[in-house]
Amino acid sequence: MMLNAHRAWALAAALLLSVTAHADPADAASSPLGFGSKGYVWNRMTPEQVQVLKLSGDPVRGKEAYRACRGCHRSEGVGRSDGAYPRMTGQHAIVLIKQITDTRAGLRVNPKMEPFSSRHAVTPQEIADIAVYLSRARSTVDNGQGDPALAVAGAAAYARLRCHECHGKAGEGNEVKVYPVVAAQHADYLLREMQHVQAGQRGNSHPDMVKTLRGVSDTELKALASFMSRLPDYRDAPR
Amino acid sequence: MDSPALRRLAFGGVLLAATCGVQASPPELHLKLCAACHGPEGNSVIPDNPSLAGMDAGYLMRQLTDFKSGKRKSPIMGQIVMTLEEDSLRPVAEFFSEQKATGGTVADPALAAKGKAIFEDGIVASAVPDCGSCHGSDGSGDAKYPRLAGQHAVYVERQMLAFKSGERANDLKGVMGAVAKRMSETEIRAVAQFLTGLKE
Repeated sequence: MMLNAHRAWALAAALLLSVTAHADPADAASSPLGFGSKGYVWNRMTPEQVQVLKLSGDPVRGKEAYRACRGCHRSEGVGRSDGAYPRMTGQHAIVLIKQITDTRAGLRVNPKMEPFSSRHAVTPQEIADIAVYLSRARSTVDNGQGDPALAVAGAAAYARLRCHECHGKAGEGNEVKVYPVVAAQHADYLLREMQHVQAGQRGNSHPDMVKTLRGVSDTELKALASFMSRLPDYRDAPR
Repeated sequence: MDSPALRRLAFGGVLLAATCGVQASPPELHLKLCAACHGPEGNSVIPDNPSLAGMDAGYLMRQLTDFKSGKRKSPIMGQIVMTLEEDSLRPVAEFFSEQKATGGTVADPALAAKGKAIFEDGIVASAVPDCGSCHGSDGSGDAKYPRLAGQHAVYVERQMLAFKSGERANDLKGVMGAVAKRMSETEIRAVAQFLTGLKE
């Protein structure tokens, strides 16, 4: 009952934000259910995530269902080079499923996604389909890369903060642990999300991410973003 | 559209069709009834009334059904469709879907150019997706989303404003309403101006 009341509150808050905050480029806001709330577990599966993971996704159906997303996230999920929308091309299906279902559960707050990602627009089966489609998608469209002068400092920071232990040396993430691919992501998107994580504003943050980024300067975050954005698509990276 | 004479004419046609029990396919009297406002081949010459030529039959059927159920509100269409049998609607929808759209003329090319940018690229700052992802990059539409290419600018603008205000709310998944609410009236006018000149 408590959970339901909380969930209703979160939905009401998200709805309110969707009406008022549409022009706000920084769309992150703390979620009453998410990071920082009592008993928060970053990878506790929502009932819907469990439901979606039981379904088998189909990339052909996914491409059609992706039309609901394509208007913003562009063909093949390339997003926007200015980072307004992330690059989802080749992202692990399970990561995409977690992010969509977490957003729908009010854990990650993103008013821009309403109503395109809401339950009546995209069914659980379509989430499974879209996730498989995007995870296999390919694109030759360049991502938005950070300042090349910062890439070396970024590589050093990536090693010093031990980012590779979770996100991999090639930025390939970890499918089993549901850690996202960071290679070839738009630099400005990486920077914004790291800033949101640091500020405790990304509702479904991994607590280790928040800890890792604590006290990291903005200059260093920019360097990290530049380095990760300059890693090639991990599927093309030499092994 | 709202003239009493036209309305009487429309009802006369419906009455005649009903009493004669016309069930031919496509029912000629039904088509005549539609033609009065939408043009004989679905290319309306009245900017207030939408052209129907080349629109997907499935989309037209959904609108007719929504007029019938009251989900989409229109005093004229609501009354006309109310008197028609459910199974007489399909041949009408199919007839118009098979017609060739003639398209419109752009009155304000500068405004249309602004509309083209929104149609193709959306508006990132206010999270407006591009139009082509749903309506087709050539605006030809499908069963889910209507054809927009060549539609009257006045009509498109009025529908978008109705979506923006919530007066029209029979869109699929509430998506059009959400998008229209994120657009300014000028942006809506620009897109409408572009669409009227869009050729498939």
